[in-house]
Amino acid sequence: MSGVEGRGSRVEGTAKIEFRKVRKSFSGKEVLRGVDFGVGKGEVLFIIGTSGVGKSVTIKHIIGLLRPDSGEILLDGNRVDGLSEQALYDVRKRCAMVFQHATLFDSMTLLENVALPLRKHQGLSERDAEKEAAGLLDQVNLSDSYQAYPAALSDGMRKRAAIARALTMKPEVVLFDEPTTGLDPVNARRIDRLIRKLSDDLGVTSIVVSHDLTSIFSIADRIAMIYQGVAHFVGTPAELKASPDPILQQFVSGRSQGPMETPGF
Amino acid sequence: MKDELRLFFRVLGRTLAGSFSLSARGREKGAVIEQMYQVGNRSLIFIAVTLGFIGMVLVFQTCLQVNHITGDLSQVGSEFIKILVHEFGPSLTAMMLATRVGAGIAAEIGSMVVTEQVDALRMNNVDPIDYLIVPRFIASLVMTTVLTIFGVAVALGMGALTARFSFHVNPMVFLDFSHVHIGDLLTGLMKCVAYGAAIPIVAGFCGFAARGGSEGVGAATTRAVITASFVVILLDFILSGVALFTLQRPA
Repeated sequence: MSGVEGRGSRVEGTAKIEFRKVRKSFSGKEVLRGVDFGVGKGEVLFIIGTSGVGKSVTIKHIIGLLRPDSGEILLDGNRVDGLSEQALYDVRKRCAMVFQHATLFDSMTLLENVALPLRKHQGLSERDAEKEAAGLLDQVNLSDSYQAYPAALSDGMRKRAAIARALTMKPEVVLFDEPTTGLDPVNARRIDRLIRKLSDDLGVTSIVVSHDLTSIFSIADRIAMIYQGVAHFVGTPAELKASPDPILQQFVSGRSQGPMETPGF
Repeated sequence: MKDELRLFFRVLGRTLAGSFSLSARGREKGAVIEQMYQVGNRSLIFIAVTLGFIGMVLVFQTCLQVNHITGDLSQVGSEFIKILVHEFGPSLTAMMLATRVGAGIAAEIGSMVVTEQVDALRMNNVDPIDYLIVPRFIASLVMTTVLTIFGVAVALGMGALTARFSFHVNPMVFLDFSHVHIGDLLTGLMKCVAYGAAIPIVAGFCGFAARGGSEGVGAATTRAVITASFVVILLDFILSGVALFTLQRPA
């Protein structure tokens, strides 16, 4: 790690996920320049940073949706960065992802959307998969919307359905890409509570990409800040607040003036 | 460029492998039938109108020129049918499908790429190429041939009517199939299969290569139409050359 190290920068015990000097470029533009941090088992780690800095890019490497140009990504001590698409399906059973725009399939009802991984990963029949999917939709308070199509639902409902779909395979890790963006404060806090509950009750490791300071300071165990392609800070919320680092202070206070360089500005 | 080439060959390879595999991982029940409806039934009017007008224009112009030179219009129908079967029927139908079907495939897949739905498919153990391209590929192979036969029939009918009402050519004289040989039919069929295979692969590749937001989807759609049309013309040139030396009888 380069930049600011809090006492909480190190993972206690064995890391569930580790990034080691991960670099990634798109069309010659280097987005990640050696990202280096770990995530402990069962913890809720928030990845923060300005828009376009590479937060979503970072988490997509864990499940092989993106491949690093160099560096290593480890899940339970085993490298996942070089796995074939076939081998990655096992990783994707263990690590689910809730995408930024919920990303439900427009042509399927909510029930069919949530049943899809059960049919494809577990090979359940349509009827069994939909029965199990109904139970998951009940858990996120969508029991009235089994047959609704995503386009007919609010953002909050779509996000909840996406979370239900992510939980179908009882994952060890859930990656949340901006889960509260675009939601009203009440729904945002409900999503926060759900993320915290997954960690506390089921021991799920959560990595959350977010700009939502209320979420960050209410449910994060640790925070990693990506800045200029590296993990500029890794530590606890208290360490982030107390840090004198001007970059961190500018981000936390939300000031437009300061030393922080933002892509595109 | 290297990434694009890799993507193209991946789309090509997975589509061919998926089309001939009985256990395609991502294919949904009834997906091929649904795509046959989308590619075939929903193109019927478009193909009928286009090929009908082309049939009328070609016959009118040919009769006009022949009238100036020899005045004998008895051979116009048989030559028109021959060239329609091995050249204009498949190629013009495919050009029309390259615009309508190619644009649709690229726009749909492109928008799924930029909204991360393709990533979501991969997360759900669904191969996006198996799920999105293979049903369209099989449907396109079948329906390009079916639509070509339909388009040729419409062009013939409209051509015969044009010859009858503009130049007083008896339809029984016009509809003379004696110049159509098995080589012409095989050339037409070979072109239908080649075009039917090329359009969804090219359009699917353009869709998967989409980047950014709605602008990227627009660019992918434009690229798909241009590339698919160009590929149809290129294949026409190559296959016509091959057929000339192997399948068709010299005049």
